[in-house]
Amino acid sequence: MSRLAFEPGSSVAYHSGDWRNQRPVFHNKWPPCGQTCPSSEDIQAWLALASDNQWEAAWRKLTERNPLPAVMGRICYHPCELGCNRKELDSAVNIHGMERYLGDLALQQGWRHRPINEQQHTQQVAVVGAGPAGLSCAYQLAMRGYPVTIFDNQSAAGGTLYSGIPDYRLAKNVLAQEIDAILALGIQLHLNIKIGVQRSAKSLQEEFGAIFLAVGAQRPRTYQGNDQSNHSVLTGVDFLRRINHGEPITLPHAVVVIGGGNTAIDAARCARRLGADVTVVCPQDPHGTQHGHSGAEEMPASFEEVLQAEAEGVHLRYRLGVRRLVRSGQHLSGLEIARIDQIHDRQGHFKPLLFEGTEEFLPAGLVIFASGQEVDWSGLESLVETHESGVMVGGDAAGKLRFAATAVGSGYQAAMSIIAYLTGIPPVYEQHEKAEVTYKDLNLPYYSPLVRHEGTVAADQSHGFNEIKTGLNDVAAKDEAARCLSCGVCFQCDNCWHFCPDAAVIKRNTDYEIDYDYCKGCGICAQECPCGHIDMEPVF
Amino acid sequence: MDSRDPFRHNVLTSGHRACSGCGEAMAARMVTDIIGPDAIYINATGCLQVFTTHNQQSSWQAPWIHSVFANAAAVASGVEAALRARGDDTPVIVQAGDGGTFDIGLQCLSGMIERGHDVLFVCYDNEAYMNTGVQRSSSTPHAVRTTTSPPGRLSEGKHHLKKDMISIIAAHQMPYAATATVAYFPDLKAKVEKAMSIKGPRFLQVLSPCPLGWDHDAAQTIQVSRLAVETGLFPLLELEHGAVTGVMHLPQQRPVEDYFRLQGRFKHLFGSKGGIAEIRHLQALADARIQRYGLLDTTTDWNTDTASQVQRHGRGGYSLDRQEDSQ
Repeated sequence: MSRLAFEPGSSVAYHSGDWRNQRPVFHNKWPPCGQTCPSSEDIQAWLALASDNQWEAAWRKLTERNPLPAVMGRICYHPCELGCNRKELDSAVNIHGMERYLGDLALQQGWRHRPINEQQHTQQVAVVGAGPAGLSCAYQLAMRGYPVTIFDNQSAAGGTLYSGIPDYRLAKNVLAQEIDAILALGIQLHLNIKIGVQRSAKSLQEEFGAIFLAVGAQRPRTYQGNDQSNHSVLTGVDFLRRINHGEPITLPHAVVVIGGGNTAIDAARCARRLGADVTVVCPQDPHGTQHGHSGAEEMPASFEEVLQAEAEGVHLRYRLGVRRLVRSGQHLSGLEIARIDQIHDRQGHFKPLLFEGTEEFLPAGLVIFASGQEVDWSGLESLVETHESGVMVGGDAAGKLRFAATAVGSGYQAAMSIIAYLTGIPPVYEQHEKAEVTYKDLNLPYYSPLVRHEGTVAADQSHGFNEIKTGLNDVAAKDEAARCLSCGVCFQCDNCWHFCPDAAVIKRNTDYEIDYDYCKGCGICAQECPCGHIDMEPVF
Repeated sequence: MDSRDPFRHNVLTSGHRACSGCGEAMAARMVTDIIGPDAIYINATGCLQVFTTHNQQSSWQAPWIHSVFANAAAVASGVEAALRARGDDTPVIVQAGDGGTFDIGLQCLSGMIERGHDVLFVCYDNEAYMNTGVQRSSSTPHAVRTTTSPPGRLSEGKHHLKKDMISIIAAHQMPYAATATVAYFPDLKAKVEKAMSIKGPRFLQVLSPCPLGWDHDAAQTIQVSRLAVETGLFPLLELEHGAVTGVMHLPQQRPVEDYFRLQGRFKHLFGSKGGIAEIRHLQALADARIQRYGLLDTTTDWNTDTASQVQRHGRGGYSLDRQEDSQ
């Protein structure tokens, strides 16, 4: 029938869709929070569930990638919030606060991890190191039905989370409870076992189908000067380990901490809590000066922690290095510091060069070196050096970015690689192959400005090791979850449906469908989508 | 009947011949879906009538008649009187463009209001005769380019001012008159629902951008509509018995150039000396409207920002009578 000779009837017989030269397509995209999360959490997804009051589902979504939300919500340096597009509107969503809230809620409600499927495999996997990487890997494997055994040389599980993070940042019982929830999946944990001492690497290889080495970077980089005496000299790692294991420590009046990382700041704040007058000598520049002089390097410690340390009375000195320790006999009277010319040599090794003639004397009764840690491979040489298949390395031991969240992410990837190795099927990383959404892709006027909710920080900071920061309360958590802009992921605002002049967007119960029989390709839906979920594609 | 969408009636359904990005098709679908299919729609001649009834195909899924250009309000008066005589309270709705309202239809409209007929008259104002090829109407704003007000050596577009229709209507001391536009759906919905809850003559003027006649990108219909309000050129008002009872406030005023730059019909104003003077004139007109209606006073939280804001899982849609009926 010719188009110009219809029976009387409805215009739906006429398909206006053939007018178009472009067409709208719904695309779920990958919001910057998830993109910047070192554990690759689908942050937008669990925030969406939380804002719909589906708290347990939100926790399950979150723990798909990170089994330690209560811990990470407390200590992660949350790069997700630096990526959050909401900062262009008012301020970033308090993602770490929400993560902590969900983690705490799960502990309070006693939610247990549920294995992904009923499958039970027989191939045993060994994990060396019960830190965040090892726990994460073991968790992912156990969730998929693999029997896992973890070995650790410390007397408690948690690795650096246990021995390196002071109680005022992370209460030990929170860590213990989240680890217990992971182990409840049937994971064996053998503490106080150092591979190479109590058990040989060879026996491990014989017994287990695959081995994940997540031994961390526990060996402190020592002071390179002429002074070889250990008197009145500690490393940050040892100092924190002793405090975290509850050893009594008496400090002299003046303590100097050398280093600019989180270990240095943690050590300084602990020493401050024990009553010492603490100065941090930081080789790098303070935060916010990366565009200063050439060769400027920002200190790696978290800015928030630095501010809190300063508020607690810790003195910070920047761009200074140690020339020598000054002693009267064995007794340490202080150290000679000088301005730093360069921190790393051309190969990128830590090798500070000091300017001659800028020396000054800093009195100190104890000096704590916290200028980096190295991996201690002793006992594992045979596994690492032979590049044995079925042996993976992860966490701090593998990477340069030594953050707990990076370790959790690395544990997930190791688990996927181990499964691929054991099954012979290439690894399936549930990665989003999706475009990133910047704030320019968003329609910000469609969102209302909302105040960011923070947990409170205790006022009496310099007293005691109790947790100084409290989490969000129930009301604040619900409001905070609703602040998520849902970048690139439809949140059913109905804009496309309302604004389509051709009634070509059909609303369904949980989503929308475009009726291409009628869509004329005007592009209004893509233009007015608040979150950048709709793209226009050319039609030829 | 087309019932593709379970969440609305689609009183004005797909397959109509409106241009891509048509603001009037969008506005009419919104208004008629809020009212629903249980009403009698009378349509004056104009774009809406032409693009919805083409080649013996109708896009209307409700009782609908086409009157001649001038007499839609008179036809509605007769329909309403007949229904009243039968004791039938089916709502009667007139839909017309700015030609059928501001110009040729004004006399019948005025008579309908004056006689107190229980009719809602909806004017989809696209500020020119778009159906016949973009000729100026009395609704066309000052200095706009149309095919009958071409800018050139002797002219900077339309010489005359846009007719202040809402004031003319309000001068009838009628129960309810309001202005709305497509960009603010919650506002439009509230106004249609309020109009439907009132007996007597009611009037709604819905600014409906026209990508063809206003010469803007088809995708920008909503932005253009929003900017008309945010610049103060098209205030969103509610009038009851002649008094202004509600305005949508502006958190801040946008310069009129922001509105003009998106539209080819104002393009000639940029770059010429006379054009700059006309922009100043139009800015003064916007300023005067903002002052007259107190658009920048913040007596309520109801403003262009809050009216835009979206919510997770929808910001309010249409009643679902049909779905409930079928169950």
